[in-house]
Amino acid sequence: MTRILLLVVTALLLGSVAVPAIALAQPSQAEMRDAIRAQQAAETSATNPGQVSITHGDHIQSSSKSMAVLFWIFAAAVIAGALFVVTRRNLIAAVMGMVGCFLGISAIYMMLYAHFLSVVQMLVYAGAIMVLFVFVVMILNRPEDEPVAPTGRAGGVVGGVAIAYLVGRLVMLLVKVVPVDPAASNAAPHPTLQGHAWGGVKAVGTDLFGPGIFPFEAISILLLLAVVGAIAIARPLHEDDEPGADNEGGKAHGGGPGSSPPARTTAAGAGGHS
Amino acid sequence: MSDLLFHVGYAHFLVLSAVLFLIGVGGCLIRRNALIILMSVELMLNAANITLVTFSRMWGDLSGHTFALIVIAVAAAEASVGLAIVVAVFRGRKNVDVDKLTALRH
Repeated sequence: MTRILLLVVTALLLGSVAVPAIALAQPSQAEMRDAIRAQQAAETSATNPGQVSITHGDHIQSSSKSMAVLFWIFAAAVIAGALFVVTRRNLIAAVMGMVGCFLGISAIYMMLYAHFLSVVQMLVYAGAIMVLFVFVVMILNRPEDEPVAPTGRAGGVVGGVAIAYLVGRLVMLLVKVVPVDPAASNAAPHPTLQGHAWGGVKAVGTDLFGPGIFPFEAISILLLLAVVGAIAIARPLHEDDEPGADNEGGKAHGGGPGSSPPARTTAAGAGGHS
Repeated sequence: MSDLLFHVGYAHFLVLSAVLFLIGVGGCLIRRNALIILMSVELMLNAANITLVTFSRMWGDLSGHTFALIVIAVAAAEASVGLAIVVAVFRGRKNVDVDKLTALRH
């Protein structure tokens, strides 16, 4: 289906354009110096420790025109992807729209200086969770969700261009490592008072393992429970073909879809072989 | 008007998040496919995350990032358990239309 292929190509293009474009749209060194000077002046003139102060004023500090254009592009991608999810009948198309939506959100995070969250969004959502959804769509295997193989010349051309583009990008990456722009690296240590490391791994990690240590521990237990729960729910209910002592238990509970929890836990305890 | 277009402020991000949340709510209410409903829930969680990160940037406080990370982890757990339920339901009934899941209706 050419529409899906087009969507995939769009997602690829968005992803490959996003990072360099945002890097270009960062404010120039002079802009940053002005902003820092203004901020420092404001801090020295009115330092009031008891008062909560908004650090960056009313606008995003780097509100240049190219940044605004990028914001509208990615906001459009987010909304379009979300609408795609809600309106499509074909589940694979919906999942692909969701991937585009998540990539747009990841770029939005980048604009808010949340670098680490942006990468996590890309890995966890556009990577892991979406693969999970695609797997389930494939398991359900309903006829209307079939990703129709791209027949005809248009589908072949679009697919070929997408593959060629992907391979080209990978080869470019392998052949030539793009050096960091020296002006940008000069600007990097002190663009804001907190530095560019503000939303980076170190800053987020310091916060996560400092004040956020209890939610972090709680979330680890929650993830463990989710894994065990998902396995316990999704395992097959009838264990007839299982050679073991719990044959009569399997027969007793095999018929209905709502088999009782005790039978399942004993089965899980006994069936450690697979 | 050009100020609205070319000076992207925090309000833009917040409005984007609100629109995304509304689309998620709409998907939850309108669609009957359980998978689409799960995806709409993910959309709503992402909208909440955008709000958190925007306010985090606005106040210069990193707690919002931490909270967004935790929301992402919860979303992953929710997706895995939800999809397991969808698979289990499908195995018993051969469809995942939530309007036909009336076993608990009295």
